[in-house]
Amino acid sequence: MSDTEHNAGAVPQEEPQDTAADECRRERDEYLDGWKRAKADLINYKREEGDRIAHAMKTGHERVMKDVIAVLDSMDLGLMSLADDNSAKKGMFLIKAQLEDSLKRHGLERIAVEAGEMFDPLKHEAVGMMESPFPEGSVAEEVERGYSLYGKVVRPCRVRVSKGHS
Amino acid sequence: MAKILGIDLGTTNSAMAVMENGELRVLENNEGNRTTPSIVAMSKSNERLTGLLAKRQGVVNPQNTVSSVKRLIGRKFSDPEVKRDAAWLSYAIKESAQGGVDVKMGDRWYTPEEISAMILQKMKLDAEAKLGQPVNDAVITVPAYFDDSQRQATKNAGEIAGFTVRRIINEPTAAALAYGMNRKKNEKIVVYDFGGGTFDISVLEIADNTVEVRATGGDTHLGGDDFDKRIIEFLVSEYKKQEGIDISKDSLAIQRLKEAAERAKHELSTAMESEINLPYITSDAAGPKHFVMKMTRAKLEDLVRDLIDHSIALVRETVTAAKPKGAGLQISEIDEVLLVGGQTRMPAIQEAVKKLFNKEPHKGINPDEVVAIGAAAQGEILSAKDENRKTEGEVKDILLLDVTPLSLSIETLGGVATPMIQKNTTIPTAKTQVFSTAADNQTSVEVHIGQGERPMMSDNKTLARFILDGIPPSPRGVPQVEVTFDVDANGILNVSAKDKATGKSQSVRIEASTSLNKEEIERLKQEAAAHAAEDEKKREFIEAKNQAESAVYLAEKGLKDAGDKVPQELKDSVNARVTRVKEVKEKEDLEAIKTATQELTQELQKIGELLYNNKGPDAKGPEPEKPENTA
Repeated sequence: MSDTEHNAGAVPQEEPQDTAADECRRERDEYLDGWKRAKADLINYKREEGDRIAHAMKTGHERVMKDVIAVLDSMDLGLMSLADDNSAKKGMFLIKAQLEDSLKRHGLERIAVEAGEMFDPLKHEAVGMMESPFPEGSVAEEVERGYSLYGKVVRPCRVRVSKGHS
Repeated sequence: MAKILGIDLGTTNSAMAVMENGELRVLENNEGNRTTPSIVAMSKSNERLTGLLAKRQGVVNPQNTVSSVKRLIGRKFSDPEVKRDAAWLSYAIKESAQGGVDVKMGDRWYTPEEISAMILQKMKLDAEAKLGQPVNDAVITVPAYFDDSQRQATKNAGEIAGFTVRRIINEPTAAALAYGMNRKKNEKIVVYDFGGGTFDISVLEIADNTVEVRATGGDTHLGGDDFDKRIIEFLVSEYKKQEGIDISKDSLAIQRLKEAAERAKHELSTAMESEINLPYITSDAAGPKHFVMKMTRAKLEDLVRDLIDHSIALVRETVTAAKPKGAGLQISEIDEVLLVGGQTRMPAIQEAVKKLFNKEPHKGINPDEVVAIGAAAQGEILSAKDENRKTEGEVKDILLLDVTPLSLSIETLGGVATPMIQKNTTIPTAKTQVFSTAADNQTSVEVHIGQGERPMMSDNKTLARFILDGIPPSPRGVPQVEVTFDVDANGILNVSAKDKATGKSQSVRIEASTSLNKEEIERLKQEAAAHAAEDEKKREFIEAKNQAESAVYLAEKGLKDAGDKVPQELKDSVNARVTRVKEVKEKEDLEAIKTATQELTQELQKIGELLYNNKGPDAKGPEPEKPENTA
């Protein structure tokens, strides 16, 4: 009991100093931690921002590409409406090829589809069904072309799906 | 740290969000889209498809493609709503053993919970792939009018998908959370939610950190899709009038028209007119036909006016009707209005809502994503509680970082205030820039530090001036004086200037760089705004004058350096132009200064060309120098 009292009496003499130093140490650690975190946050933010910008540069023009795809559709229909011996047809065809080439350099590629291949919702969108010589559930015909931008399908090929023979 | 995913499980589309690095963020799905169609299908090859893939094959496989299952979840088969919907659903439904609804997909019957679970499971997998860590917990939203059975069924769907459903919250409550409305006291809020296929109104009351739903209303069969339908019908009938051709049966033409109509609708939210241009839409005996039509915002509003009016009438009824049909409130008692759902981007809707409540509705957060964001906010609150910490948003607030209320500038040639630290920069911060002298053999520079947004230093507030001397005599633009502005966390600004050649430096400490009182900051900002045009002119004038001076200096130096190598004729011509520039420089005619300077520069180029072409590589013409930042 007396020991306890003695100890208890000794503590208050040293306590103020220790507490102040401890408090300082605690604060120092807290501030250092805060500083390190802030620095790390900034480094991480810079890296993430870099990734975001790179991603945005790659896919940011997706909307523009979608608008251009509508123009390509019109060109396709325009070419189809011209007779093969029409002198303007070849020129228009070359202009379209030129445009497609430059879009390809910016990541836009046509998705190839052939009648008879199995319907695949990863790259095809069904707009209807029709009778055809191809097996049921396969692509009977392509109605609108599909495009991908750096591998991401921005517009699936619009196709009619085969019902098989009647 | 385990993340809790916030999910807006919608009738037509679903979205998910999460708290990441202190910010609520919508997660993209595997296809790279921010929303996922709430559709599940069993393909003809017996493969289960979810989301966009299910949607893409819906047309050719309608009886095995399940959409809008939210309309069935937790309902009795005998429910009048179910009876009404059964008429147009493309898939078969029947009464389950417990009196609920079963849905047929492929050769099996499923409960609506199981179908919803498939959508939720896809979102779980996509979120895990995106975040690179398992996501086990979720907060899922439901419409405020969902009863206990519908909520329980939604929760079950989450559990089937492998989530621990931490909370089912109301969609309008989530929207309020996203806007931080839960921190408000005793407010009454109306949430106007115009989605793709449903229109919901909720009246909320916030008190003591709780959100109570006072009333709900709306129309479960009114949505943005109805707007699209109206536009297409109009375009088809107009085309028939103009060309005499009915394109409504041509699936390709309608598909193209649908996309163009949607684009026009979006465009008309910001523009007053939009052109729909679809070449080769169809053809007849005379050849190909094109579709070209202008649509004005007024026309669009005219087409859907009755739908908007109907929605407003429903809002009025939900707010004012006596309980339990409505909230039993006066319109004037509503404190805030939130807009949710993509269709609320339409200016006519925003105007109608504003007119009804006589206040501006909140619309800052993407209306397609606000519910998912709110669900993620609820997730973060729960997550913080689990981990016994503050929510990430609050953590950020503990360490308050100040900003500089006004720009801090240094005076450069012609009295221009060149900003070193822009306004609203978070402090502590520092910026260093190198300046030079304005005249030959200048041995001292004055560093004049000011604060404010005006381009001319004399219009801003001067904080301090000091002189750095002892710069060795040299031609203008050669000495390099490095000036550093350093603002510490307490807003104390230290400015130092150092001559890089001699290492001599001077500095000043300004205590009160950020402690202007509010009125003073406001006054300076307002002054800047009020004088913006006139200041711009003044700045342009000074810039032109500086360029003129610089050109004169270069011409005189060039002629001196070149000596006899330049023919007298050219010398005279340059000198004449130098005199002309000097003359007009003193007048207040900006165009005259610009023209005279340009003429002089052209003549100077002739000297350069002459020296390079005729005298070999050793000869030097006047070197182009960038205009000095001259202190």
